[in-house]
Amino acid sequence: MLYKLKELENDARSTIEGAKDLEELKSIKVQYLGKKGELTGILRSLGSVPAEERPVIGQKANALRQELERAVELKEKSLKDLQRQDIWEEERIDVTLPGRPAAIGQRHPLTMIIDEIKDIFTGLGFQLAYGPDIETDYYNFEALNIPADHPARDMQDSFYITEQYLLRTHTSPVQIRSMEKQAPKLPVRIICLGKVYRRDDDATHSPMFHQCEGLVVDRDITFADLKGTLDLFAREMFGPDQRVRFRPSFFPFTEPSAEVDISCIMCGGKGCRTCSYTGWLEILGSGMVHPRVLEIAGYNPGEVTGFAFGMGIERIAMLKYGIGDLRLFFSNDLRFLKQFS
Amino acid sequence: MRVSYDWLKDYINPGISAEKLAELLTLSGVEAGSVEVFGCELPQVVVGEVVAMEPHPGRSNLTLVDTNIGNQTLKIVCGAKNMQVGDKVPTAKPGAILPGNRIIEETDIHGVASPGMICSAQELGLELGSEEEILILDQFSKIGQPVDQLLGFGDQIIELELTPDRSDCLSMLGVAYEVAALTGREVKMPPMSVTETGETLSDRIKVAIADSKLCSRYTARAVDNIIIAKSPLWMQLRLLKAGIRPINNVVDITNYVMWEFGQPLHAFDLELLKSNEILVRKAEDDEKIVTLDGMERKLSAEALVITDGKRPVALAGVMGGEDTEINDATKTVLLEAAVFNPTNIRRTARRYNLPSEASQRFEKGVNPEAVTWSQDRAAFLMHELAGGQVLKGIVDQDETPSREKTVEVDVLKINQVLGLELGKDLITDLLSRLGFKIKEKGSGILNINVPLRRSDITIAEDIIEEVARLYGYDKIPVTLPRGELLGNVKSDEEKVHDLVRDILTSCGYYECITYSFINPASLGSLRFSKDDSRLNPIPVQNPFSEEQAVMRTTLLPGLLKTIQHNYSHRELNQLLFELGAVFEPHSIPLEELPNEKVKLGLAVTGQVPDPNWVNPSRNADFFEIKGVLEALFSQLQIKDIVFSPEAMPFSHPTRCASIKLKGKTLGYLGELHPDIAGAWEIDQPVTVCEIDIQLLAENATLIPRVKALPRFPAAKRDLALVVPKNIPADKLEESIRQAGGHLIDQVKLFDLYEGKQIPAGKRSLAYSITFRTDDKTLTESEINQVQEKIEKALSDLGAVLRS
Repeated sequence: MLYKLKELENDARSTIEGAKDLEELKSIKVQYLGKKGELTGILRSLGSVPAEERPVIGQKANALRQELERAVELKEKSLKDLQRQDIWEEERIDVTLPGRPAAIGQRHPLTMIIDEIKDIFTGLGFQLAYGPDIETDYYNFEALNIPADHPARDMQDSFYITEQYLLRTHTSPVQIRSMEKQAPKLPVRIICLGKVYRRDDDATHSPMFHQCEGLVVDRDITFADLKGTLDLFAREMFGPDQRVRFRPSFFPFTEPSAEVDISCIMCGGKGCRTCSYTGWLEILGSGMVHPRVLEIAGYNPGEVTGFAFGMGIERIAMLKYGIGDLRLFFSNDLRFLKQFS
Repeated sequence: MRVSYDWLKDYINPGISAEKLAELLTLSGVEAGSVEVFGCELPQVVVGEVVAMEPHPGRSNLTLVDTNIGNQTLKIVCGAKNMQVGDKVPTAKPGAILPGNRIIEETDIHGVASPGMICSAQELGLELGSEEEILILDQFSKIGQPVDQLLGFGDQIIELELTPDRSDCLSMLGVAYEVAALTGREVKMPPMSVTETGETLSDRIKVAIADSKLCSRYTARAVDNIIIAKSPLWMQLRLLKAGIRPINNVVDITNYVMWEFGQPLHAFDLELLKSNEILVRKAEDDEKIVTLDGMERKLSAEALVITDGKRPVALAGVMGGEDTEINDATKTVLLEAAVFNPTNIRRTARRYNLPSEASQRFEKGVNPEAVTWSQDRAAFLMHELAGGQVLKGIVDQDETPSREKTVEVDVLKINQVLGLELGKDLITDLLSRLGFKIKEKGSGILNINVPLRRSDITIAEDIIEEVARLYGYDKIPVTLPRGELLGNVKSDEEKVHDLVRDILTSCGYYECITYSFINPASLGSLRFSKDDSRLNPIPVQNPFSEEQAVMRTTLLPGLLKTIQHNYSHRELNQLLFELGAVFEPHSIPLEELPNEKVKLGLAVTGQVPDPNWVNPSRNADFFEIKGVLEALFSQLQIKDIVFSPEAMPFSHPTRCASIKLKGKTLGYLGELHPDIAGAWEIDQPVTVCEIDIQLLAENATLIPRVKALPRFPAAKRDLALVVPKNIPADKLEESIRQAGGHLIDQVKLFDLYEGKQIPAGKRSLAYSITFRTDDKTLTESEINQVQEKIEKALSDLGAVLRS
């Protein structure tokens, strides 16, 4: 009897091991362990075994049942694993295929710079101010201390609409408009970003371009404050290691006036073609608001001082993004615009 | 202003290199644009003396010139004729290298060996004389001396880019004063003491000024027995360095002195004046003058003229007259040095389009002090260089209002403005370096006497700038403004602009910026009706071209031009937008500022997304833009938007809608008429949209309000309808919403079909309707009830339920 059990065990184990799929395993399980199965048959025939041997054989047979059940379970698990392997293989994806296109457009590069400038200055508590593109001669020139026949009018050749109206040649009229609106309340702390127009058209001049104007008027505003504000701006815009240089200059509406240079971002100040081998790039004009301008706009120059600055957005964008031709901005060529996304 | 470094040394020794000086000037506000070297090295070109000349044996037009170059005499073949025995000439020895890398070697010229070349000025790189003319060097030139050295080659020219206020630096002496202030060195005046002989000029000539506002001073000096000739080579070279063409000794001297003092001089041939009375007056209407350039000019009464009592002999400060011009026969020169009204000169120079070095200086204001200096200096030079005899005295009609200029400034104010704490003594020291004379009035008030050459300095702030720039802008500290901050840095409209850009770019749109001025023909192409205000744009008076002739009244032309540009570069699929102002005049010509209205323009064409392996592409059409607009409206919480079928002049007749917000026109959305697209050379459908961003912003809610999450579940029912095609979808939805009342949570169209299985003239629409209430779970019968109501309402519209 024991021999029979041993034989059955060997038989069953190899059959289970040899099962090819779950179906076969199921019938093997029935074949050995089912109600009519071989092991059950052996247990049933226990009666024919001498009584003293019965407990031993019974014990063995039961142990064998448990072992075989376990073997079937293990086999079942391994067969299931195998089957899932096939499924996994079927479900395999090519992770190197391109992704589903997420169509994202982009702001115009000039808007990107404008946004950046807004962030820097609104962070310093500047308010955004506005003025019209078509201006009066008064706001564009007269109120900025540029009377008719002033040589400074030569600096900007203007597009006229009528004798009295023109396309603004700079954003500076917004200085006057903002002060007029607010006078005599203090402080004035504004920036204005917008389009300006001059009669120039070549690779470095466009008849329409963009400027940023800044103005601060309050008690005790100093030239040192102007330097600090623009120094901070330059480092925010072009990087923390940026060096900034202030040079005396002339604008009719500021006195003293300063031209502001940053160390060349191409060569770091060593001198290259971009900076005409000077190591410096001119980026903006600035100065202390001329007392006559303060007076015209409704403030007492004996009591308040102020500073103002103006810069070209295109110039900043060209330097920052390495753009060589100004005309690209207004061609809106998608081959250009798509490089920013 | 071109400043020769060697020439500058006549008036001051800077003690530093030209490059260093240029940098110093730049940092003090007199910007040096560049420093360039004058001339070039001329190896093996030396001074030779013509010792003998004989004709070429074979060619009569050539000469054999024995040229002594010191250690040897070369027999050189020469084609020029202008030299004589004894002349000193530039001689290129074999091995010499001339400008343009021209190497000189011994050559055979028609059978005669020529060991070198005698050079013209042009061959040496100078804009002097003609090519066939040998450059005759000064008689005292040393034989064998290198010619580059003799000609001052290697001098450095500092090109100053002056701001309009610094006209004082339009002269060598002005620059010298500036250098003196920066280096602490002394300025030296050039020699100008004149020996006068003969007649007293005032006995011979009278000067009168008719309008002292236009001419505040007029001086005259005369030099007799002049011999007109070329000026000495050194002077010609200096003028070349300054960028002025040498003419003859008299004209060259006037230009030379102008460069020295900044005072333009004019020389008349005294004997050609028709009377002895010079009158400075306004021109008479239609009076004529032939100017030095040979042009006859008809004058108007605004121009100032110099007359000889009979006729105009010069356009004051701008250009002299041909009739009294210096010529080879001139013997007596009348020199004019005057002060004219800057504005008048500026207008005249502009009107006759005659900008010159002289008018440029008068326009910016000349230094009244320099008037007599330059008279004396010019007379001195005419005596020295042209053999003239200076007549006695200067005739000086001087109506200068004031020669004293003082500005008062408080030391406290200087420091307050600059953010510095400079002592009074330091400030006084800085300003004295400029030649300013300072008196202290007590309690920190300084009384500053400003030299007349600095016409730009009139108020305390000007003095503050002088202190700042001499102290050094770089030494001023760096601080941030203190004080109160204002809130509300961004307006709501600004926030709406940001949001529009965010949404559109995240939907795949690219932002464009196009010119505000457009071609009026592009408006014409859009077929606006005659009374459409968009067809009546503001014209620019002086545009560059027709392309930029009028201010845009719609963003459409700019966007279409962009689509066209990209399409022509085979970019077939485009999603574009622009946010910008259009200009709406109240009247033309303008009598007040126009309305500048910010609009959002969109233009799409082709397919989205670009063809790819995973997502099917769809046409970028009407619904492409409408979807984006809906996302935008939803983001801004704008309801009450109605799209109604309405053709625009430029649209596809049946694929266009007007968009209204609370009954007000917000804009339009539609497919461009295929003929117009074709006219713009775009051979595929284009859809465009333009909306009024101001109106949108006014109705926007920027802060979302959050509702509590629903506590009871929703029920969903789908309805498929067959509807006559002429019933617009919004009518159906409205009717569903109305019939469903407050139980309706959402209505969504999820399918649209027309074609097979649907009768002609009809289409099938399928809606998914979500029902919900806040206070309980809806029962089946409640839902059925409301659904019946909805079905009834729909069938009243002519809809048939599909089962």
